[in-house]
Amino acid sequence: MLVLVTGGSGSGKSEFAENLVQQLHRKPFLYIATMYPFDEECHKRIARHRDMRKEKQFDTLECYTGLKQADVSGYGTVLLECMSNLVANEMYQENGAGEQCVEVVLEGIDHIQKQCEHLVIVSNEIFSDGIPYEEETERYQRYLGKINQEIARRADLTAEVVYSIPLIHKGSLEECIHTV
Amino acid sequence: MILVTGGCFQGKTTYACETFGIDREDTADGMNCLMEQIYQAKLLYHFHEYIHRLMEMGQEFVLEELKEKNPDIILVTNELGYGVVPIDRFDRAYREKTGRICCQIAKEAKEVHRVVCGIGTVIKHD
Repeated sequence: MLVLVTGGSGSGKSEFAENLVQQLHRKPFLYIATMYPFDEECHKRIARHRDMRKEKQFDTLECYTGLKQADVSGYGTVLLECMSNLVANEMYQENGAGEQCVEVVLEGIDHIQKQCEHLVIVSNEIFSDGIPYEEETERYQRYLGKINQEIARRADLTAEVVYSIPLIHKGSLEECIHTV
Repeated sequence: MILVTGGCFQGKTTYACETFGIDREDTADGMNCLMEQIYQAKLLYHFHEYIHRLMEMGQEFVLEELKEKNPDIILVTNELGYGVVPIDRFDRAYREKTGRICCQIAKEAKEVHRVVCGIGTVIKHD
């Protein structure tokens, strides 16, 4: 099963996604962390997330680029967080995919999905604050928007989390939890 | 406690006043009200601005205190965090903080409404 969890910053989407993984009951759980620890603020953010999931039995795999090379065989459920970081890394890191970002990321998702039973992807809504950004940032929005659409198209469940409340745009949360 | 959220300029406060039968004079504006007014007002709008002011003063929002002193308050807030991560450190912290606080409030609230184009949808109801 493929699940897309999206939402704004600070919306509680991570917590929702982590709890959903617990309810899918397909162990072992793997957390693919995509945030590159650039600075103190990133470290704090990463520490906060580690703390949030410490009781939830996740192994952690750090993957900043090249999802297609990741070996996740043996895991029942994979939680990838967050697509917005992975896309930025692929676009801007030296060994990233650059302009091939969209294709490379989607191939990476296929690659992970083939190895596990459930894949839950956390993404981010960065599309509606009405601020005109520079061309490069708009390219980032375009790539992530395209990737989000592609994931949602393939997903069994798509949820947008609003202040910890899941709004289901595709599929049924109850069915997902009960049919697994 | 009731939380009403949505983008800016969506008619959230008008929707809330109409839906819950609140007179405008019983509301407080989070942008410029006295900080204590949150404990008396039936409805406080621009709640995100209220959090912004708290942060500028270096103070924390205490949900427990609000629940105790004004358990039936209606909070109207902009839904922040739907843009690219801001460059400014304070802006980043502010939208993150507002999100976390609103998650807490949504968990405690008996109802959460989300307003788009003046139309509210109940996204949580006890």
